[in-house]
Formats: sequence, structure tokens, C-alpha cells
Amino acid sequence: MRSGKFCVGSEKPDRRSRYRSTRDDTQSGAREEGGTNRDPAPFSGPSLIMNGWNRQKQDRDARLGAAATSASRKIVAADQAKALLEAVIRPGDRVCLEGDNQKQADFLAECLAAVDPQRIHDLHIVQSGLVLQAHIDLFEKGIARKLDFSYSGPQGAAIARALTGGRIELGAIHTYIELFARYFVDLTPHVALIAAVEADHAGNLYTGPNTEDTPTIVEATAFKSGIVIAQVNRIVDTLPRVDIPGDRVDFVIQVDRPFYVEPLFTRDPAAITETQILMAMMAIKGIYAEYGVTRLNHGIGFPTAAIELLLPTYGETLGLKGRIATHWALNPHPTLIPAIESGWVQQVHCFGSEVGMDNYMSARPDVFFTGHDGTLRSNRLLCQTAGLYACDMFIGSTLQVDLMGNSSTVTTGRIAGFGGAPNMGSDARGRRHPSPAWLKAGREAVDEPTTLTRGRKLVVQILETFGDKMTPNFVETLDAVAMAKDLHFELAPVMIYGDDVTHIVTEEGIANLLLCRGPGEREQAIRGVAGYTEVGRGRDPVAAEDLRRRGIIRRPEDLGIDLLAVSRQLLAARSIEDLARWSGGLYRPPSRFRNW
Amino acid sequence: MIAAVQIGRADWYEASARDRIAGLLDAGSFVEFLGPEQRIMSPHLAQFDLTGAFDDGIAVGRGTLDGQAVLVAAQEGRFLGGAFGEVHGAKLLGLLRGARERPPRAVLLLLDTGGVRLQEANAGELAISEVIHAILNLRRSGVPVIALIGGRAGAFGGGGIITACCSRIVVAEHARISVSGPEVIETNKGVEEFDSRDRALVWRVCGARSRYLLGGADGYVTGSIAAMRKAAAAMIADVPSFGMTMLQAEQQRLTDRLHRFGACRDAPEIWRAAGLPEPDRVGDIDDEAFLTMPRIAGADHDAR
Repeated sequence: MRSGKFCVGSEKPDRRSRYRSTRDDTQSGAREEGGTNRDPAPFSGPSLIMNGWNRQKQDRDARLGAAATSASRKIVAADQAKALLEAVIRPGDRVCLEGDNQKQADFLAECLAAVDPQRIHDLHIVQSGLVLQAHIDLFEKGIARKLDFSYSGPQGAAIARALTGGRIELGAIHTYIELFARYFVDLTPHVALIAAVEADHAGNLYTGPNTEDTPTIVEATAFKSGIVIAQVNRIVDTLPRVDIPGDRVDFVIQVDRPFYVEPLFTRDPAAITETQILMAMMAIKGIYAEYGVTRLNHGIGFPTAAIELLLPTYGETLGLKGRIATHWALNPHPTLIPAIESGWVQQVHCFGSEVGMDNYMSARPDVFFTGHDGTLRSNRLLCQTAGLYACDMFIGSTLQVDLMGNSSTVTTGRIAGFGGAPNMGSDARGRRHPSPAWLKAGREAVDEPTTLTRGRKLVVQILETFGDKMTPNFVETLDAVAMAKDLHFELAPVMIYGDDVTHIVTEEGIANLLLCRGPGEREQAIRGVAGYTEVGRGRDPVAAEDLRRRGIIRRPEDLGIDLLAVSRQLLAARSIEDLARWSGGLYRPPSRFRNW
Repeated sequence: MIAAVQIGRADWYEASARDRIAGLLDAGSFVEFLGPEQRIMSPHLAQFDLTGAFDDGIAVGRGTLDGQAVLVAAQEGRFLGGAFGEVHGAKLLGLLRGARERPPRAVLLLLDTGGVRLQEANAGELAISEVIHAILNLRRSGVPVIALIGGRAGAFGGGGIITACCSRIVVAEHARISVSGPEVIETNKGVEEFDSRDRALVWRVCGARSRYLLGGADGYVTGSIAAMRKAAAAMIADVPSFGMTMLQAEQQRLTDRLHRFGACRDAPEIWRAAGLPEPDRVGDIDDEAFLTMPRIAGADHDAR
């Protein structure tokens, strides 16, 4: 069944029992998934109520009973993993296979991709990231059919192909926090397959620095009669700390290789260009300093890495230490090390960890959140919430921006997903606490501020006018719009909506969209920083100059930045090795980033 | 902590070809031959839709180092990986031939190259063999030729062979010297033979520290341009003579080295076999600690 469903509102309410009756055989279960609703009417008498309130528990018991043949106790041998999955998973189940942009329950993913598609099929995958080949295999083999996710990164092209070929029925592309929210409303997993560093014999788990999504997934699954299976690197007698209590974990499998973690947040300073440094200088002087932004989140691009590396040098010369960028919701970016070591950074809460950074963070507990065992504790849900409500600014890169400032990382043939950007990069309408940066942004957005004028989150898109292979980053219409039409999505996958974007920074200047009055001005402000792209050359030069006079467009020279002073010599670290030196040898970069 | 990284230091690795020359020679002494204003460009790149460079990726000229007359050539590793093409090679060859007619105190080769440009491979290969010939002629006539390696592209392919033909070789930490590049080996022999993405492995095999410890380089400097200048000046004053006796001694040294370490699969095995302290930490210690390490016996030779 091919579906054009895309938005949340199009999801049919699932009124049937969360678990099918234990008497259902697998085939009837599969039919039921797409078939008619056979649940009795809600007011059908007391006898049904007495029989019907603990069906999920009964179903769970039946599954555990089926597993008993392959697993007599909590600890399951790795070679029994596939049999265990075949015993506890039923066709049509919602399955969360833990995996995001960083950590992966990769062993369990491979086991699930190896199950017999005759026995297990039509699964509904509800997970943060679809990034492994095994994740794609689930759909290619028909083991899974429906997908609700948030991030795909390296598999963006494979997902686009599978969607076009009708092998994936897409629910929606979410932002992380939104998908997590749905775990507790209408996408609660029947089975969660998770990853941890260590388990003890009671099934307590130590997730190590990469706690990330695990507590959220387990909370949703274990407390709604679901089944939780963990792959762990080691089984030990005593854990350093307990991240997941054992009574929420049904099975533990020790795997002879550590679960995979992608060093996604490592940006090699050697690859930062002078154009990116120029944009970073403009952002620091024209936005960070201007608004006094102390609480913020950075995306993972090179321009923001440049900002991190300019704080102890360029930022220092501007006298901004302690006045900007002190409190962060941020993964442990190695490029933040020089700013931390120079005393710029007071506190960082992390979504996840980063390969090689663990010892460094353990040695800086005043800055990072660490357990009593001394290692980092990350948590994606809580850090995303922090980014939404407690940060005054998000700044990140994107691949395409249109004339209204809408931006997307979906380009033709690739669906990379969003990750956390739509959450970080949106104004929190429920926010009620003031801060100078938030209030200043809010006042700029209206003509006559009053005491009832609410603040605005600063949402900054930083990008060069041209991207890879000289493709223009500014476009009349996002590729996402054409793709949505081709694939019959009800909603085009926009990463950050234009009405949330407050500033666009390019090498040509900063466009302050808060100060724009009306769509006409907004369009000219965007065209005015779009350089030599078609969009940029389509500007009205008179209007652009007028916007510049009013400070809506600001060029480097308007900010007092001398183009000839822009140099890589300004970076506090110019190589991964410099970062390792800044850390006093505590940061241990993965081999792929070394050049010594 | 902050002192660990010198912010704003002029790095050899970071610098452009002309910045390297400017920092290496006495201030203001460099006179460029066939500079970019003359637009002597590759006649071949346009048909491959590649944008050329006004200097074809190499700066050549004369200047002084501590008052001594030198000729200098610097490849721009950021233009087509510093690779040899027809004009690029001819500029270097012309410089070396000119050195025979009016001998300078030394010739300095600031190599930063992935080898030969595929788009003009025949001309590039030819240039490399002629350059090797010219270097050996110069050395026979008593002019030291010093290779200074530490750029992004390293010295690969023919550039690696040219390097090995020089009187002295100075490397900075990020330098790599080899003939077949890591990606080429992986493509031809498989990832099991050589994983080019394992960059620690790449540097253990062809990186500056391994080359220096083994005798594939004569000087090792921290990455600053100033350190490279100091080392270059010291090397000019200390080059071996060049003749049949020396070549035979070098042949014998390399034969012995192959005999001793030929079965080793990775650099730490060599360091262990040679009895160096802490063989597994060679890549991790800082430059200062590294420079106090002993090299393997026979590395400090005069045969090159």
C-alpha cells in the first residue's frame, strides 16, 4: 500500500487494542494492520471491561512465554539473538531500533534485518535515525513497511529510492523531540532494541557517555507493557552507575564488538576556509555581541566550528569573554575545547557524546554534566528541551534557502532528515522567562514594543551563497517542494520555516529579517545577501541599499571587519592535533581525523 | 594549557607556496622567475574543464638565505594537489638547469605534490625523470639540493622519488613521503592491505616521524616556517659528497635495512625490533619529546 501520508494529522487514530489478542496468529495480525477496525464499541458492558483492561500485559506475557524457548533468563547469548527477536516480535509491531545520528544498536539492527520475513513483516519502525545499511535492508526485505523517523544522513539517497519504489510507507519526518513525544501518544513501541556499554546480571544498564535516546525509548516501551532488549559491550558484576534500572529491561545480549558511534560532531579545523571565517566573524560581531547571546546551540557545520575557534582569539580582542556564549546545549564539539580551556564556557549540556572526547569531559566536570562515576551523562530529549526553552539562539548551516527564508536539507534525490534543527531552530511559543537577547529580538520584530511584547528566539542560518560544485544555496523554490509533489507528501519537508528565521549570514553580509516589514522587504533582504546566485542577482539594488542604510543588511565593512584581516591565523586551533594539544592530550581523536 | 598551542604562529603546513618562500628566505630577497603576471599557464587543463593557475601551481626564483645565494622552487599544494604538468615541470627543470650554469650556494625544493597530473601525464612523467637527472647532475657538480617537505599534499608519486634524490631532506610533522599514495594502494590491493581512511596508519607508514626515525629524512622540525628556515640553513652547511662510493654505501645501507625490517607489517614493529623506547607511542608524544628520541641505528647516515 503506497501512501502519501506525511503530516501528523493524517495519521488514522489507532483504536484497536495496542497488542493483538494472543490468540491471533501472525497472519491475521498482519491483515488487521491495514484492515477494518474490529474493536467493539466503547460502551459494550461490564464483562468486556473486566476482560479487556490488561490485554497488553497478557500479550507481553505471551511474548515472554514464546521467548522462553530461546531464552531461559535475562541474559541471552549473542547467537540466540535472532531467535529471540523472532519469538517476541509480531508482524505489524511498532519497533524502535535505537539509533540516531551518533550511537547505534548495530548488532540488533543486523539481527532484525536477518529474521525470516515470512514470520516477521510489515513492522512499523519508529526511531530517531535511519543510518545503517541494516536499517534500509529491513524495508528492502519487507520486514518493515512503515517508517516514522527524524534523521537519515548517510542513507538519505537510499531512503529516497525506497520511497520512490514504494518499499517505505512514510509516516513523517520529525524533529527528535517531536518523535519522542509521539512515543508517549500514538507511536509507542511494542519492542525496543537498545544499546548500552555495560549490564549487570540483573539487567541494570550503564549507557556510558552516549546515553542519548535510551532513557526515553525505555520509558515509553517498558511502562506500556512493551519489551526491551539491550545489546551491551560487556556484562559485569558491578556497574559504574545505573542509567537504566534493570526492571525495565527484559533481555540483555553481550556482543563481542562495541556498539557503533559515529563521530558526527568532529569538524577538522584544517578544513575551515577563510570564507567561513569571515562569516563567523560577522556572526560574532553582528549577532552574538549585538544581542549579548549567552545561552545557545550550534549546528554541526564548518562556519559554526569557525565561530567556536574564533572565540578565544577574535572574540577576545572584541572584549566579549564572559559576555557571550557562556552556557550551551551542545554536543561535545572538539572545536569547543580552546574556548573551554580559555575560560569562555561555563556550562555545556549534551545530547550525546563524541568519539574521543570522553576523557576530556570526565576531567572537566565543572563544565559538563557527569555522573558520580565521573563519566558524561548525555540525554537527547532533555538537551533538546533545553535547546527549545532555555537557549536564546540557534545558529546552523543549511543546504537551501528560499526567498522567504524557508530552509531545507532535502535536495533532489536525498532525504537527509532534520535531526534536532527544527526544534532548535524555532521560536518556543510557550516560553515565559525573559532574557536580554530574547527581549531585544522580540522588540525588533514589532514597530511599537509594549510591556506585552513577547521575546523572540534568535534563529540564524549561516551559509555560503554557493555550495558544493557551485550549486546555488539560494533558490526561488526549495527542492523539497518538488519532492513532496512527486511523492505525494501532504507537507513539504522544510527544516526551518522562514517565519522562525531571524538572521541569514553569508559571505556577503547579514540580513536581519526581524527588522523587515512585510514579505517584499524580507525578499529583498535575502536577495541582498545572496551574492552572485540567480536569487542574489535578481535583487533591486535601490531597495537593497535602502535596507543597508536601515541596518537590515550589514556588509563586513558596515561591521568594521577588514576583509584583508580575515585569516586562518585567527583560528585558535588549525588542526585536530592542535585541539588534542589544547586538551592536554585528554582528547583522543579517532584515527580518521589524524594527520600525524 | 594555552601555551600548548601558539595562536597565530606562521605554520609551514598552513602557508601558501609564496608565503613559505617569503618566510624561508631573507626578507624581501626573493625574485620570482616567470611569475603569475606573465601568465605562463597549462595549455592542457582547459579541455578538461579545469581552471588553470597563472603560475601553473609552482613558484620558482632566486633569493638569499642568511646572505647565501639560493635558487628556490615551491609547489602550491592547493592547486591540483601540487601535481606536475608540462609547464609546472618545465619551470622546475629550467631552474635546476640554470643552477648548473650559474651555481648558487644551494637549491631549495619546497615540494608539496601528489605526483603527476592525470590530465597531462606524459609531460608530467617526462618532467619528473628530467628533474631527477638534473638534480643528480647538480649534486655531482657540488651544489646541495635540499628538499623541504611539510605541506598538505605531502610528496607522493614522482615527487616522492625526487625527494629521495636530494642531498638532504627536512620534514615537518604533517609531512608524508611515499611513491604510491594510500588511496592508490587501497584501490589496487584492497582495504585489507592498506586502509587509506585509517589516517594514523597512513602517517605511521609514510609520515614525517617514521621517515625521520628510519633515515628517510635527515631533519625533523616543528611546523613553523621559522624552524624550517633554520633547518634548511643548517643542512646547506652539512651535505654529503656525491659519487660512486657514496651510492654504494647507500645501497648497502638500504639492503641491510630491508634485511632487518623487511618482514615488519607496521612502523611500531620496526621501532620494537630496533629497540626504540615506547614503540607504540611514537605518534602520540609531542614534538619536543619526539626530538629527544634516538633514531634507528644507521639512520643518521651520510650516504644520501
